[in-house]
Amino acid sequence: MKIKLTVNGLSYERDCAEHRTLLRFLREDLGLTGTKEGCGMGECGACTVIMDGRAVNSCMVLAVEADGAVIHTIEGEANGPSLSDIQKAFEKHHAVQCGFCTPGMVMSVKELLARNSKPDAEEVKEAVEGNFCRCTGYVQIVEAVAELAGSGDKGGLEHV
Amino acid sequence: MLYEFRYLAPRTKAELAKVLADHAEDGKYLAGGTDLLPNIRNGLMKPAWVIDGKKLAGAQDIAFSQADGLVIGSAATINDVLRSKDARERYPVLCACAHELASHQIRNRATVAGNVVNASPCSDMAPALLCLGASAVLSSAAGERRVPFSEFFAGVKKTVLKPGEWLERIEVPAASAGARGAYKKLKRIAGHDLGIVGVLMVKGPMGLRFGVSSAAPTPVLVPSVAESDAPEAAVAEVLAAVSPISDVRGSKEYREHMIGVYVRRLLAEVK
Amino acid sequence: MFDDLSPAELRFVGKEAGRPDMTEKLTGEAGFVSDMILPGMLHAQVKKSPHARARIKRIDTAKAAALPGVRAIVTGEELNYHIGLYIVDKYILAKGEVRHYGEAVAAVAAETLEQARAAVEAIEVEYEPLTPVLHHMDALKPDAPLVHPELGTYSYMAAAFTPKPGTNVANHTKLRKGDVDKGFEESAYVVEREYSCPSVQHVPMETHVAVVQWGKGDKVSIWTSAQSPFTVRNLFCHAFGLSHAQVRVQIPYVGGGFGGKAGIGVEPLCAVLSRKAGGKPVKFQASREEEFSLLPCRSALTYRIKTGVAEDGRILAQHMTMYWDSGAYADYAVNVTRASGYSASGPYEIPNAWIDAYTIYTNKPYGTAYRGFGHVEFHWAIERHMELVAAAIGMDPLAFRLKNALKPGSKTLTGETILASTGDVVKCIEEAARRVKYGELTAEERAREKATGWKIGKGVAALQKAPAMPPFTATAVILKMNEDGSVLVNLALTDYGQGTYASIRQIVAERLGFPLEKVKVAFENDTDRDPYDWQTVASKGLLLSGNAAILAAEDLLKNAYAVAAEALHANPRDLGHDGERVFLRHHPDHGVKFSAMAVGYAMPNGNGIGGPLIGVGRYIAQGLSHLNKETGEGNPALDWTFGAHGMVVEVNEETGEYRVLKIASIYDVGRAINPDIVRGQAIGGMMQGLGTAICEGYIYDQQGRLLNPSFTDNKIPTAKDLPLEIECAVVETPQIDGPYGARGVGEHSMISVAAALGNAIQKATGAEITHMPMRFEDVWRAIVKKEPIDNWITKSPVGSCRSAPELRRHE
Repeated sequence: MKIKLTVNGLSYERDCAEHRTLLRFLREDLGLTGTKEGCGMGECGACTVIMDGRAVNSCMVLAVEADGAVIHTIEGEANGPSLSDIQKAFEKHHAVQCGFCTPGMVMSVKELLARNSKPDAEEVKEAVEGNFCRCTGYVQIVEAVAELAGSGDKGGLEHV
Repeated sequence: MLYEFRYLAPRTKAELAKVLADHAEDGKYLAGGTDLLPNIRNGLMKPAWVIDGKKLAGAQDIAFSQADGLVIGSAATINDVLRSKDARERYPVLCACAHELASHQIRNRATVAGNVVNASPCSDMAPALLCLGASAVLSSAAGERRVPFSEFFAGVKKTVLKPGEWLERIEVPAASAGARGAYKKLKRIAGHDLGIVGVLMVKGPMGLRFGVSSAAPTPVLVPSVAESDAPEAAVAEVLAAVSPISDVRGSKEYREHMIGVYVRRLLAEVK
Repeated sequence: MFDDLSPAELRFVGKEAGRPDMTEKLTGEAGFVSDMILPGMLHAQVKKSPHARARIKRIDTAKAAALPGVRAIVTGEELNYHIGLYIVDKYILAKGEVRHYGEAVAAVAAETLEQARAAVEAIEVEYEPLTPVLHHMDALKPDAPLVHPELGTYSYMAAAFTPKPGTNVANHTKLRKGDVDKGFEESAYVVEREYSCPSVQHVPMETHVAVVQWGKGDKVSIWTSAQSPFTVRNLFCHAFGLSHAQVRVQIPYVGGGFGGKAGIGVEPLCAVLSRKAGGKPVKFQASREEEFSLLPCRSALTYRIKTGVAEDGRILAQHMTMYWDSGAYADYAVNVTRASGYSASGPYEIPNAWIDAYTIYTNKPYGTAYRGFGHVEFHWAIERHMELVAAAIGMDPLAFRLKNALKPGSKTLTGETILASTGDVVKCIEEAARRVKYGELTAEERAREKATGWKIGKGVAALQKAPAMPPFTATAVILKMNEDGSVLVNLALTDYGQGTYASIRQIVAERLGFPLEKVKVAFENDTDRDPYDWQTVASKGLLLSGNAAILAAEDLLKNAYAVAAEALHANPRDLGHDGERVFLRHHPDHGVKFSAMAVGYAMPNGNGIGGPLIGVGRYIAQGLSHLNKETGEGNPALDWTFGAHGMVVEVNEETGEYRVLKIASIYDVGRAINPDIVRGQAIGGMMQGLGTAICEGYIYDQQGRLLNPSFTDNKIPTAKDLPLEIECAVVETPQIDGPYGARGVGEHSMISVAAALGNAIQKATGAEITHMPMRFEDVWRAIVKKEPIDNWITKSPVGSCRSAPELRRHE
């Protein structure tokens, strides 16, 4: 089936097998490999993209369902050569370790801030609760978003 | 999906009805996809056709009127319910249950209709719809029929839907608006999880009701608990209505214990 | 390599510094093996056993081979390669017999994933199911089926391991220190308890994946999501009888490992498919379900501890028996047994000790390395035991720990003497206790108890670990100067998220005296380009590679000074340098730029001197020894990192529900090279530890089928599962032979988290839990003193799991 969609501001028109997920379509047909597969079942959030303004697990969306949709993935996050505010905050707060959950995590945060520019810690956790991270333990991610929300300082390692 | 299928997205009710009838044997209805696509991925369902009902006009809508109550379209998502002013203000118990369903990303795709048609015993939306006296409007080439949710669930992941039928809309009576309540869902972690047990208590024009998930082959409605009953009488009534099992998530004994605990807590908390 | 430099004298080490790999990870540009597509690449899928133990009677691949797009099918019968890190007991695909649920029996490579999947389904396998042996304690019984009847014919590393052919014991590690019988005789109290924990999975966010191309002339190219490129190459060559020159292993970005990717994984499978498909590259990525059952997990443990205590609370004797459930193959589990064996008592002085640690085969997915290498599992037991012993003898658990903690002059189980510079576990324990106000409830906490009705309890737990590695483990680092005077660092230690490269960069910049921006650590690893590193495991990377980096920096400077001396007609002894140039210290205007020397220096008349500036640093662990196989005596520990947690939990006594209010974790890291990286490891490991404490664990049915092979029922912590308050702090007792005094801490943050929680829950409610995880139902059962449910190998899940408490006052 022919589908037409906008991804990160660019228009794409492709022929796509109807059983393919949006995740595989983005990664394999459009070469946007930033979005990852972690479970294929909608549990882990590594595949999170923003579709028509909503954070969704792209492994649970068929590419053909995205016909006519406006999609944002991690590749569209930076502002040309400079990192976005979210990316800069993540970098500053060491909110990235292996990096595999990061694209999906950033998309969830982006969607959160679009609908709530000053989330409290509980709202942040609620928004990223569907994004598993096995490396960071989440605290530095929550602190990064807290800074974007205008609250909270950079947590630190204390010396005894 | 590693299993292949064809996709149809009818634009009108008549088209949808025909397609569902034509593919009654080899087709599956696609709502939010959060249950169907995992089932296909895991080889539990192998439909040759997947029929997307979301393109029908008005399918995404949630609207309230005194005549029809809260009408939830077949494609309205869980987060649509949480975003709906009418749902939040008039049917807070619906939102209490919606909030507990999976994760934010899932809630952006999963539909209320899909959740009840999937008919998992663990359904978070079913207790609310049961307690609020809601009905399912089922459509097909033969027309429409209304089935109250108390008659909708037929077994584990089974409903009364006939081949060729789809759940077109959910109607929550205006008379149930303003009902108060709370939903207690026991999970293994604070993050998203299927419920070990879930107990909803609703108090309103319909009286005092409990809806229980994850404690029987279907979600269970305990329709008329006397308000004057001592807590233990209410506990006994709820326990008599359910039949929890032991599985990897918890033992029968613990589930029964927690149902009792939740009933007592709800009676104390919801005034 | 410790120079006693104060923080004021250091520019980068110990200071905040960013990670060098952030940008590409934040933009999606970082390339993982799971993203790789090569021209002509085929996709692989595997056929897996539904049985825990069965004879393979027949495999018919004819229908599969006829399907479109299928380019290669392989079964175990046609392969005759043996694999094993320490005991060579595994085939690439099951041959003759399957030994665990989910084991691969056949594999297909096809043009597309869909075609591969269809072909796998078309493969017909006829099994004769056999009775599996599932519980490790059952596997020890004389009539138990043998998982490896041929154990006596396998080759193995005799210096370290002792398998018992004719049984299910893959290894028996012994340690005998002093005279336990005498120690027990002199004890006023003797307490014996048993503890257990199930298998869990690493759950890296990127599942195991490899691309292998078996080129003409047997030139093999491997791209893999793995932790140890040289181990992959070495084991691969051993298995296939190839020379190291024929095989190249490359590792780009890795989406988490946690030990699960420490050794060799799916590379041999991809290799045999590629060879059969005429050399086309073959990619196999495990699904999440395959990650849980086809790929290895962490061993389960039953640990029985008997402790003799003097009247004043000093431990006089301890008898420890560990039963490790290796699953179907020995893999790393035998070494986990060995490494846990020599550390088995935790950070306490045991004058008389007797340890038997067994690695036991069962018909289940097998155990491999996992963060902590056995220490998370056995510290659960030890730190619960310390609590229960203290309670039994009427002593405060904190005081009991402090009384017995290792101090300068103490001797470890293997006879090593603890020095002041080894680390300060007492300080860690005291600080952890102080931060949670152990032993009392504050007014705020009392008010909270009153308001919620939930009981608040506080627990402490201590920990120790040394790297589990050969005593002669070595590594090397190469620094190459770029034409512009910046340097490139090559090393085969991998960074799969733990952030070691950031610290290496700081160390190199510090030693060179260059700004951080002038130091690049090449991210991807390549056995054709990088100097050898043993494995990225064991929390040894920072220490060994950090030292090698310092030596490489010094070597580079020495080479630069030699060229500068010639160019400046100076004595190298009188030269100094800054980030840009080398110059005569007494005439600083006389200098030469690094960039002018970087690839050879040209004299004014055009004569060339020097050449490309390269610094080589190699470092090998020093002074370590094998352990005596009978007594366990020896010096195995590169360094000891000690730590402790203090935890505050509130528990609902009616339901067993609980919430962690606060955790304070303290580690003696020697020197925190990069504080944010240390904190990231501390919190990440703590949450992983909390996962094993709260909800993680494999559940099998009586046929050995895994009942929770996906995230649906194998839960891991989410952002909502964070404790309300988290504190991390470091003690810095310098490691004299660590880079700038640093020791590793990558694994330690996971250790003893569960025990601290169990101790706190016990303080709050009296519930005595000896098995983890502590699900709400488990806590409830312990509170109301019901039979615990042992549903880890379940009939329907109520089984039995008795912990036989034995406390007797010694007459």
